[in-house]
Amino acid sequence: MMELLQVLVTMLIFPAGLFLLANAMIYQWIDRKLVARLQDRVGPPWYQPLADTVKLLANEEVLPHGVNKWLFIGLPIIGLAGALTTALYLPIAGLPPAYGFPGDLIVTVYMLSMLTLCLGLAGANTRDRFSMVGATRTLTQLFSYEAPFLLALLGPALAAGSWQLSDIMAYASGNWLLFTQPIGFVVVLIGLMGKLEITPFDAPEAETEIVAGALTQYSGRGLALFRLGQWVELVIGLTMIAAFYLGGIHNPLDYVIKTLFPLLIIAALQTLMTRLRIDQTVGMWWRYGALLALVQWLLIFLMGGGQ
Amino acid sequence: MTTERNLLHAQSILGDLTTDWSQPAPDRYDAFVQPDNLVAVVTTLHQDRWGYLAAITGLDKGPEVGEFEVLYHFCADAAVLTLRVIIDRADPVMPSICGVMLYASPYERETGEMLGITFAGTPDDAWLFLPDDWQSEVFPLRKDAVLNGNGGGDA
Amino acid sequence: MTQPANRKRFTVPIGPQHPALKEPGHFAFDVDGEIVQSASVRLGYAHRGIEKATESRTWVQNLYLLERICGICSHIHATAYCLGVEKLAQVEVPPRAQAIRSLVAELERIHSHLLWLGVAAHESGFDTLFMYSWRDRETVMNILEVMTGNRVHYSANVLGGVKYDVDDQQAATIREGLDFLEERTLHYLEVVSTDSLFLQRTRNIGVMDREAAQLSGVIGPTGRASNVQRDVRLDSPYAAYADHPITPVYETTGDLLARFVVRLREQLTSIDYIRMLLDHLPNSPLTTRMPRRVKAGEAISRVEAPRGELFYYIKSNGGDMPDRIHVRTPTLCNIASVAQLVIGQHLADVPMILVGIDPCFSCNDRTSVICQDGQRDMWDWARLRQYGIDHYGTHYTKDLG
Repeated sequence: MMELLQVLVTMLIFPAGLFLLANAMIYQWIDRKLVARLQDRVGPPWYQPLADTVKLLANEEVLPHGVNKWLFIGLPIIGLAGALTTALYLPIAGLPPAYGFPGDLIVTVYMLSMLTLCLGLAGANTRDRFSMVGATRTLTQLFSYEAPFLLALLGPALAAGSWQLSDIMAYASGNWLLFTQPIGFVVVLIGLMGKLEITPFDAPEAETEIVAGALTQYSGRGLALFRLGQWVELVIGLTMIAAFYLGGIHNPLDYVIKTLFPLLIIAALQTLMTRLRIDQTVGMWWRYGALLALVQWLLIFLMGGGQ
Repeated sequence: MTTERNLLHAQSILGDLTTDWSQPAPDRYDAFVQPDNLVAVVTTLHQDRWGYLAAITGLDKGPEVGEFEVLYHFCADAAVLTLRVIIDRADPVMPSICGVMLYASPYERETGEMLGITFAGTPDDAWLFLPDDWQSEVFPLRKDAVLNGNGGGDA
Repeated sequence: MTQPANRKRFTVPIGPQHPALKEPGHFAFDVDGEIVQSASVRLGYAHRGIEKATESRTWVQNLYLLERICGICSHIHATAYCLGVEKLAQVEVPPRAQAIRSLVAELERIHSHLLWLGVAAHESGFDTLFMYSWRDRETVMNILEVMTGNRVHYSANVLGGVKYDVDDQQAATIREGLDFLEERTLHYLEVVSTDSLFLQRTRNIGVMDREAAQLSGVIGPTGRASNVQRDVRLDSPYAAYADHPITPVYETTGDLLARFVVRLREQLTSIDYIRMLLDHLPNSPLTTRMPRRVKAGEAISRVEAPRGELFYYIKSNGGDMPDRIHVRTPTLCNIASVAQLVIGQHLADVPMILVGIDPCFSCNDRTSVICQDGQRDMWDWARLRQYGIDHYGTHYTKDLG
């Protein structure tokens, strides 16, 4: 009985459920506020993401003609669930991960990609042109940043000699990988921007060309869930960066400071840059991103990090 | 006086293709052209690189006169050369000049739909400005057009 | 999309309602993958029949109607109309009025170009430049407000002259604002010509060489970016441009970058020109007598609007109303070039190429959109503005710097 209760709490309240959603909304607001202030705007009030979500959930969900109904409804749920699941293996809020097993790093990374995959499928599922183009771009982008992103995340794993998140974190606590693997840090940070489709990698949802990309046909609940999924991904991504590259996470204060630091960098980069065309994005990732990640690997081997 | 030289030059290259000339202002020449000669005149101007086509203005002289006048304004620096083509109001057909200068297309579309003039051979005669549900027999810029607000939109 | 027949023509519609367009227009682009194969244009979503309406209004009423063709370049429409009618009526406008017409026209050009810079930056996804340039646009709008009391529809012209004078205090305010704008414009010029990511989106994109530009009848800054040396202010001087010639700006590369650079450099010339005008404002009355009826005849009036040559044909048959007014706006000249330019380009570059000509559909469609509140509460500008600041201040942030 107690065990069931504990599982339920883990799934629904902390770390994967309500807490993570609230955390995601706050971080989303911080990102928007930072960008706004950097652009000399006022920016939204703190409850804006919550208000957006509540409003969207209350809105009617329009089911467009010609879509597979179950896919249309199911994809946002699967995407959000995938993003939330990853939280089980991560030290959210500085507390030890709820679960862990050797190889959970790979599961986490693929769970994160599930949201992107769902986005792409959701776009391809509708017959709308903007969604189709958006879906193509989303999946194209997935294939371009995914490999370098994964390679950069495996760098710490190599150094730690384990594929389990808690082991890597234990290793990272003693060694600030930001300093020993700086290239990996840059690649993973920029890879996260690609994953979250924020400027300069927002071609899949370039509003001036294809309105809202893959999500053009979504309204109401589906849109809310996809949005929440992306916001959760932001928190998960920041947590992974902090845990791997910024000396691990040991307590809530540590968590807040170490996740806000990369968020600040992301916001600043986002403000400074213009949108890349999708072909430019792909070219950049394969020409520089993958290469940099491989150089980082080579360095790890040469320096004898991978025992 | 480049303006005057430009205008005189235009007159000299177009001499036998026009019926009459007048000078309404120091920087303007009006050349009266028969519809059949229009394409030849425009081709001559184009080949000579004389200015550019600034606008096509359609004038309705009213049902009493029974004529449309279509003005082709060419500008070269300050000089404006206007080709004046008069056509029958009952059978308003003009040759299209898009074969010579493609950018005349929007001008011809506009003049065509507003006055009900057919530009024979224009590459695209779909409405440029009028609403989709506009009554096709109502041409808003004709002097006798009845625009009671039911033409398909607010006129 | 599933039928083979559709596979060849995958059409991406842009407009009439689309985030890339701040005004309604419709463009259909056939794409193969991300590459555009063909394009077609449909306008008129904002058509109100202003040309027809001019035929049943007096000469004076028409000034106010025509001024409302466009929200951004209202002054230049009114100027073109006034110049034409004054030509017909053989009225000589006093020199100070001419100078003030040019002064407002150049301020309007700065306003329009800054607006364009923001929109174009937004099309490329560079929202920071968008926000900054629109913030700075407030400055030029404030200057115009100091001069005329209005931020958008300045309504500076009357037939036979202008309504507003510039006194020393206003001149000082204008100069102060211009200093700020000059500094900002130089900064933006540096940004657009050095930011390497932005250059990836503008350099060698939508290239139109001089020959192609001349053949497709392109005018205004779009043409000048391709080294087409047409500028009505210089070719056929009007208002103050006869006495004080303006320095034209040409670029040779003809790509999107050149269109950015030309417009920004034109802002700098405009700033210099306004300073020069303020130094040399002639002393004379502001208006002259204008007859109610205008002599029969026709006049052609050409002016350089921010977007290029604006062409007015005005015909009078001697009455108190015009017989025909025909307006050819710069967008109509340039729009044909877009359909050719986009072919073979990436879909992602299309919005920028489209915006590169600075299209103004309102101008094209001869319309006016007049916003009227349900109730007319008389607020002066200072109060309205304070309300705006308070509203955003209390509702959204406590730390508004």
